Amino acid sequence: MKRRRAAAGGWVSAVVALALGLSLAACSATGPASIVGRQTLRIGVKANQPGLGQQLPDGRFVGFDVDVARYIAAQLGVRPDHITFVPVTSANREAALENGTVDMVIATYSITPKRETKVIFGGPYYVAHQDTMVRAGDTAIHSVHDLKGKRLCQVTGSTSWERVTQELNIKAKLVPAASYSACVTMLLDGRVDAVSTDDLILAGFARAGTAVRIVNAPFSYERYGIGIRKGDVSGCEAVNRAVSQMYLDGTAAALLQKWFGKTGLQLDTHVPQFEGCG
Amino acid sequence: MTGDTGRYRMLVTATPPAAPQEPPRRRPAVRLRRLGLQTTPERIRALAAVAVLAIVGFYIVANIAVGNARDGLRIIGHDAGPQVLATGDLYYALGDMDAQVASILLTGRESSPGAGQQELRSYSQDRATADRAALQAAELSAGDPADQEAVRSILDGLGQYERLVSQAMVLDKQAHHRAGPPPGNVIAVYRQATDLMTQDLLPPAYNLTLEGGATVREAYAAKRSAVLAGRLWVGLAGLAVIAVLAALQFFVVARFRRRLNPALAVAMLGLIVLAVSAVRLLSDEAAHLQAAKTSGFDSILTMSRAQAISDSMHADESRYLLDPGQADMYLLAYLDKSQTVLYVASADLSEYDTALSAAMTAYRANPRSVGFRGFYGDEARAHPGPAVTTVLARYQQFQADDQRIRQLVNAGQDRQAVRLLTGRTAGSAGYDFDQYNQAVVSIIGQHRATFDQTIRAGDRELERSVLGNWAVLLPLAALGVAVLVVAGVWARLAEYR
Repeated sequence: MKRRRAAAGGWVSAVVALALGLSLAACSATGPASIVGRQTLRIGVKANQPGLGQQLPDGRFVGFDVDVARYIAAQLGVRPDHITFVPVTSANREAALENGTVDMVIATYSITPKRETKVIFGGPYYVAHQDTMVRAGDTAIHSVHDLKGKRLCQVTGSTSWERVTQELNIKAKLVPAASYSACVTMLLDGRVDAVSTDDLILAGFARAGTAVRIVNAPFSYERYGIGIRKGDVSGCEAVNRAVSQMYLDGTAAALLQKWFGKTGLQLDTHVPQFEGCG
Repeated sequence: MTGDTGRYRMLVTATPPAAPQEPPRRRPAVRLRRLGLQTTPERIRALAAVAVLAIVGFYIVANIAVGNARDGLRIIGHDAGPQVLATGDLYYALGDMDAQVASILLTGRESSPGAGQQELRSYSQDRATADRAALQAAELSAGDPADQEAVRSILDGLGQYERLVSQAMVLDKQAHHRAGPPPGNVIAVYRQATDLMTQDLLPPAYNLTLEGGATVREAYAAKRSAVLAGRLWVGLAGLAVIAVLAALQFFVVARFRRRLNPALAVAMLGLIVLAVSAVRLLSDEAAHLQAAKTSGFDSILTMSRAQAISDSMHADESRYLLDPGQADMYLLAYLDKSQTVLYVASADLSEYDTALSAAMTAYRANPRSVGFRGFYGDEARAHPGPAVTTVLARYQQFQADDQRIRQLVNAGQDRQAVRLLTGRTAGSAGYDFDQYNQAVVSIIGQHRATFDQTIRAGDRELERSVLGNWAVLLPLAALGVAVLVVAGVWARLAEYR
């Protein structure tokens, strides 16, 4: 009898365990590890773009993207000292997300349909415009169409040069470079005639006091997204809520003013139209 | 079921101290005695109390599960779901207002006296739709101050937008220009208007739609799994009640040497019926939630976004011709939006057109292998059939017309390009776009019908039971079963008084 009772008890606990197991399985079957509910976050930012993402000699990261990253991490419930910034380049952003080196990328990362085949984008948190930068003494280039036949800097992994030579079909001569800071050096020493990319990036270099001129003829919408591993829909939605909040509570306007207030750029302080989480 | 009752029969019939020949059997009796359950009436009372408690437990579990089904249907079918649809309508109406204005300014006034009349009518209709949709969205977001604030700011901005538009229209009329770009002063005012629309008005409307979509997705995931887990718990609680009732029945039968206690038997039967219908209800509701979300809501959201983005692509064609100073920006925006709607790998628009043709040829040959992504890739994979095939064919025509327009512009034939774009007769790009739009509207209508039907079916089932609404049935039936249990043991206990 005792044994039977124990058997009955075992049967009941087995059913309960099965039920609990089923509901736990249902909870965990929602895709890859989400950035929601994390204690720590590794965020990919640029290391060599003044005003956006720059690594100082003491190792700290500063810039608009870095501040946006801190705000979003805080909204996700991650303490400031639990954020690790990881330098990324235009060429390795998708790979860094895919192989898990970083959890999130906030690095002047324009949302494009092609990139959306590999990652999903929260935001955009800002809509920049592509413009062109030339040497201060250059008076021949006034619009992107004047780049025909000129030497244009081509940063691997960036879509800016594609906009010019492919999408707008302007026959510029491409000169490869590893980063936009390398492009600026090449522009100053005459190895290229123009650097064409987002106005926020160009403004950062122009503010740094270099002898360059922005032609002020913007020709595209560059929607800066927050790259997240593909499939993390709830993470993407949480990031969108954080971006909404950043515009609602005035943080976005304050950060734009802090980093670009003196550049003369027209800054848009309205919340951008989100891309949607898929 | 019979196996379970059998198991309990062995347990229960063995419990009373009727057979002292096997020593271990005394132990439960000893335990019962220590609990103060020495006499038969005490034991009957205790078992009846356990039965009533089990019934209360069953009621609580079932009530929570049915409540989750009701909440799921409310959020998806009557709350966040409709709000998504309302803000989607708002977004489309706003975007289309700006598209109509671009078309009016591009057409000019000299071509024919009736020129621009249809666009003006559409503009007024859009304005009315926007008002109605904004009102609906505000009503549905009554509990959310941030959402209401967003709707209010959209309506405020809309007043400002309309002032800029009428200013541009007056200047445009005065200019009396030929078909094609209006004078600089008109373009300058229009740029202000379209910037206001695309930067201040459209983003909050679109974000409200996405936010509502996120709410629906979360509610669906949470409520559907809660309903399914609830179904399991209702089944287990039902089995527990049945086991206790069976125990009580056998105890009474054994003690009083009767065939059957009728009240307890009816209680047990009633509970079996109730538990089985509750489990069936929960299965059905989980299925309705799934159908409403995956076959209705998701596709409505995807196709509404595709429709709104396509409409803004059509407007970008007008703006490309209207404002040569910003032509590059509108060209690149058009390319980006094309790839959002239907993605095929391509570096520029003419490559896109070629890749699109190849993808469409492959798709027509084998609709099961969808070699493209984007909104239409999702739709073609989720709901293959003639409706999506028609949309794809007309989208391809829309893109082919776009190529013709841009070729005319590149050849310096801007006026022909304007005429092709703004034409309304068969063979013109304007006509083809209307056809394309209608195909998208019709597919949205189909998904909308599925959505409404499944939500209605889910609602009906919650209201339709033997006693009407489940909210009424469940407590009444549980109470009825409990009363039967008490009545069943009452008469037996009376024999001891």
